[in-house]
Amino acid sequence: MSVPGWEKSPPARDYSVDELMVAVLAGCFRPGDQVCNGMASFLPVSAIRLAKLTHAPDLVWLAGAVGLEPRPGPVPASTLEAPLWRNSLMYVEQCGDFWTMVLNGRFLSKFCVGAAQLDRFGNANNSVIGGDFHSPRVRLPGTAGMGDMGSIGKLLYYWNPDHSQRSLVRKVDFVSCAGYLSGGRQRSDLGLEGGPELVVTNLAVLDFHPDSKHMRLRSVHPGVSVEEVQSATGFELLLPDGGEVPQTPPPTQAQVDAIRTVIDPHGMRRREFRRMRQRAAGGPKAG
Amino acid sequence: MALADAAASVPNGATVALGGLSMNSAPMAFVRELARQRKRDLTVVAIVAGMSVDWLAAAGCAARVITGLVSFEGFGLAPSFRRRAQAGPRAEGGLAVEEYSEHLLICRLEAQSRKLPFVPTRAGLGTDVLALHADSGSLRQEVDPATGKPYVACTPLAVDVAVVHVHEADASGNARVNPKLIWMDNEIVNAAERTVVCAERIVGSEAFVAEPHRTTYPRFMVDAVCEAPFGAFPTSCFPDYGHCGHFFEEYVDAAASQERFEAFFAERVVGPESWTDFLDANGGPGALIDIFPRAGRADAGSIGGQGAAQGAGQAGGTEPR
Repeated sequence: MSVPGWEKSPPARDYSVDELMVAVLAGCFRPGDQVCNGMASFLPVSAIRLAKLTHAPDLVWLAGAVGLEPRPGPVPASTLEAPLWRNSLMYVEQCGDFWTMVLNGRFLSKFCVGAAQLDRFGNANNSVIGGDFHSPRVRLPGTAGMGDMGSIGKLLYYWNPDHSQRSLVRKVDFVSCAGYLSGGRQRSDLGLEGGPELVVTNLAVLDFHPDSKHMRLRSVHPGVSVEEVQSATGFELLLPDGGEVPQTPPPTQAQVDAIRTVIDPHGMRRREFRRMRQRAAGGPKAG
Repeated sequence: MALADAAASVPNGATVALGGLSMNSAPMAFVRELARQRKRDLTVVAIVAGMSVDWLAAAGCAARVITGLVSFEGFGLAPSFRRRAQAGPRAEGGLAVEEYSEHLLICRLEAQSRKLPFVPTRAGLGTDVLALHADSGSLRQEVDPATGKPYVACTPLAVDVAVVHVHEADASGNARVNPKLIWMDNEIVNAAERTVVCAERIVGSEAFVAEPHRTTYPRFMVDAVCEAPFGAFPTSCFPDYGHCGHFFEEYVDAAASQERFEAFFAERVVGPESWTDFLDANGGPGALIDIFPRAGRADAGSIGGQGAAQGAGQAGGTEPR
């Protein structure tokens, strides 16, 4: 049930950056992979569905850590709720069963993480910003599952719709999700496997240097310069070997069509861009 | 038991664990009674939560929140939780947040329910969550002397009362979530000294005998049963009803000003006398969106038309009731 003709589809001329990000994230999932998603994960869910509709139809998806291999309708207002696990072939009934599955290194090896702050060694913060932990400037939702997924050998794919010095910082205010810690061998010395693989932002795609584990520019999106990416980043980025930074391939017309008409016609993926703007501004005033 | 009576049995200062998730099956009818009764100094345990914690924060009932996450997901941050957490525990009306990852909190509850000194896990290693709990000793990073491998020792978390929302219960407390999607609710029930079940419907015991494989909690684990139709509003109760997006939006919108929020909270949340009055004040059951589109409605998720046929008349794979 792939999108017809997806292999030969030309690059799209008319697309938005959320669609490009979905296409890049979709490329992270290979045939044979198993992936689950967390809450408020509109871009990853769109990407998982896009991968399944194109190059990875047998990708195993555990929707919202509950519904296995669902055939859902359009991306709903929650990625941890029933409409997402529509027509599943199995329910994981209780979290104990989910953790048994996910702690076993054989299953569900990839996980996408969205966080308010990300640092140069791929540590993520979704807990507090500024001030003291116990009276922070901004109280964010919290650690939840990312605090687990970062420590148990999963390959992490970060998405960030607001590439800025606020969100890409030298050192996170709080490590909610373990990346490469202080870089180098620190993560592996602690006995942790896996770790951050890729960072997909609204400006660029980044990865991590194999030895230093420092974040490195992999490609810049069409129309974005290396200088723009660097100036929107709160630390000095490494460049690819040779120094040439390629351009991120745009999504294909078939990918854009599938995202717009089948996967996410209500544009839930764009909520994340609003949400990050709201967070960056300190959120809605609560009095 | 009436909701108000069950809530009255929770003393000030108690540790109350709430079931559900941010958008799913939170015991909101019971939480509203706690807020109406102006409980004080509660410690609220809610592993992944949203509106339930926010109501207790807004009403000033909660002094401490032990949690992995509090958010309204796509609808934004939980405004009262946020405001009081940012003020901090030393401020008047401020909140202490004891943050854990999801699995660390589950392991603490399992240590409690199995009467173990600790339950080990790899989850949370390398995060700053561990340092938050070094002084209290509730989490300890240790190294296994036999293998040299590090782990986190999660110590027991005592819970006075667990409150969970279910589809059906009988008068003696047998209860079932059907289909059984309970996330972490069993973890809090197993750990708690007492459990209150809020049920969409009270049914006869013969319903459990007819389908014993569907019983989720037996009566000896349940201390009180309350009937609460649509009792998870504005969160969802799959497959009966979805979450009420309008309520979340209006709530977050009102929180743009503290004055407006207090008026909204008084009028729309704690003001209505009964749970039925509360539902009426918020658009009634009709305000709840259906979880699944019914037959004949557009199914934009289908490819080549297979989705509509599969979606029609299958309310999430459950038997007709």
